Amino acid sequence: MRIAITGGKGGTGKSTIATSLASYISKDRRVLLFDADVDCPNDHIILSSKRKNIGTVTHMVPKWDMSKCTRCGRCSEVCKMNAVVQVRERNPIFIADQCNGCGACMIACPSGAISKSKKDIGHIYTSNNGNVDMIGGDMIPGQMLSEFVVSAAKKEVEEKSSDYDVVITDTAAGTHCDVISALIGNEMAIAVTEPTQLGAHDLKLVMKLLKVLGIPAKIVLNRSDIGDPGLIEDVAKRYGSEIIASIPYSKSVIDSYSKGKPVRDSGIENMASYISGLDGNG
Amino acid sequence: MATGDFMKIITIASGKGGVGKSMLASSLAMVLAESRKVITVDCDVDAPNLGLSLGLKDSDYDTWKEITTNEKAELIESRCNGCKKCVDVCNFNAIEWDDERDMPVFDRMFCEGCGACELVCPRDAIVLKKAMNAKIGTGKTRYGFGIVSGQLKMGESGSGKIVFVTKKTAEDIGRKEGAEIMLIDAAAGIGCPVIASITGSDYVVAVTEPTPSAFSDLERVLRVVEHFGIPYGLVINKHDINNAFTKRVEHFAKGAGIPIIGKIPYDKEFVKANVGMKPIVSYDRGKKKMFQKIASEVLAHSD
Repeated sequence: MRIAITGGKGGTGKSTIATSLASYISKDRRVLLFDADVDCPNDHIILSSKRKNIGTVTHMVPKWDMSKCTRCGRCSEVCKMNAVVQVRERNPIFIADQCNGCGACMIACPSGAISKSKKDIGHIYTSNNGNVDMIGGDMIPGQMLSEFVVSAAKKEVEEKSSDYDVVITDTAAGTHCDVISALIGNEMAIAVTEPTQLGAHDLKLVMKLLKVLGIPAKIVLNRSDIGDPGLIEDVAKRYGSEIIASIPYSKSVIDSYSKGKPVRDSGIENMASYISGLDGNG
Repeated sequence: MATGDFMKIITIASGKGGVGKSMLASSLAMVLAESRKVITVDCDVDAPNLGLSLGLKDSDYDTWKEITTNEKAELIESRCNGCKKCVDVCNFNAIEWDDERDMPVFDRMFCEGCGACELVCPRDAIVLKKAMNAKIGTGKTRYGFGIVSGQLKMGESGSGKIVFVTKKTAEDIGRKEGAEIMLIDAAAGIGCPVIASITGSDYVVAVTEPTPSAFSDLERVLRVVEHFGIPYGLVINKHDINNAFTKRVEHFAKGAGIPIIGKIPYDKEFVKANVGMKPIVSYDRGKKKMFQKIASEVLAHSD
């Protein structure tokens, strides 16, 4: 069973809920937690587990052999990322930070002056805190290719997933390419939101995305008592979804959160029993 | 970014989501607008919330314009000779081979519009076509200053480029209106949309809260800010939810020579202001002084 925890808006409680749920389910099931927020990975911090670097993620970048270069300017012309700058009659200048490794310059070069090289963009980690096994990606700050770090980590997850009953994927905030990459392949997604206009607005975006991806979506209402739950109920109805659990804004939840610990709450238990029910192992 | 030198660009970033970027941006804009001409920009194109934080729903904007920053590859089936070169060359796994029809299938969601397949195709069977991937809204808040919001179209890609167009739109409006400050609310994370938001900024306000996760993400976003050599200051939000950890953050800032330009206590009023879609300084005037102090620090550091 593969379940993603997502939500659009940042700070709604995705990581807190993903780690708490993984901890709770791990009492009687084999759980793998995948931290797919490679920009800002936090699950290992909440679970107090030390990460082990199991590999570097690299990405293709072009390399020029200036002795073969005729300074024709084709590489610069075809690059849609503005990563190759060329002034007439001069050698092309490559701006590695802008390059997305598409290889168009290599194909376009008429004199075979461009070959494949690579750059490091991130790392893959595993960890275990005694209860929960985790795999996560970590992009090197300053790099822009998050989605490739997510894909590399996801490949690792997919290789190991048969050893587990449940794989929980914790996505980044937003609805962009790395979130999409993390969501694809899940049997269900749980969108974590809060009962405010901001929460409802971003929830709609995520529900739309999940519809496009064809992934069934359920909702968990975090800080359920701070605003107007009706806002979220409306979104749930509009997208044919339902709220499967609510977690109130309690002192103990804030305490756990501020210390970076998983939370214990009946909302988490409700989520866990919902998931067990789907699996026929309740 | 080549702005007129009269307009200062200030960007609010945090790494971690939900630590108070839009809260700070909305109230900072209000107090800055008391002495300067301000334009606000929501560069969280995945999940834009600054407008809502300032009481503006999508329907309250004056204009929404659809924009195109991306192209997507499309096949002219009659020309394809089945050589599969496009599949081999695509580094984004956006092209799969349909064995039954003996033709490539393009996945729009993964296509980056790089044009490698178009270049490699011996039969000119692939063309790049413009894709409408975002919309940009412009409007006026009830507090007098303007807002520009970018919004990514669902399932489309290219957040970074959309951020650039959103900033450019705000820059043009700001220049016309004689804005002195462009205040950008960035997305969560440290990836391309965040990098696009902070490049060209004169000053970055980094927001954090005293939790291990937020601190780890702060360190990551600061590495990006430093990579671009932009001066920055730190605001610790909800500093009293974990005093011991706040000390740790302060110790880190002192050691690294990072000015702490504000500390905001936890208060239920913030939650109520958020629920009511009002900046906290408009909801609870007692909080104004605190934000005026942050604003004067921002002005002092970015001038």
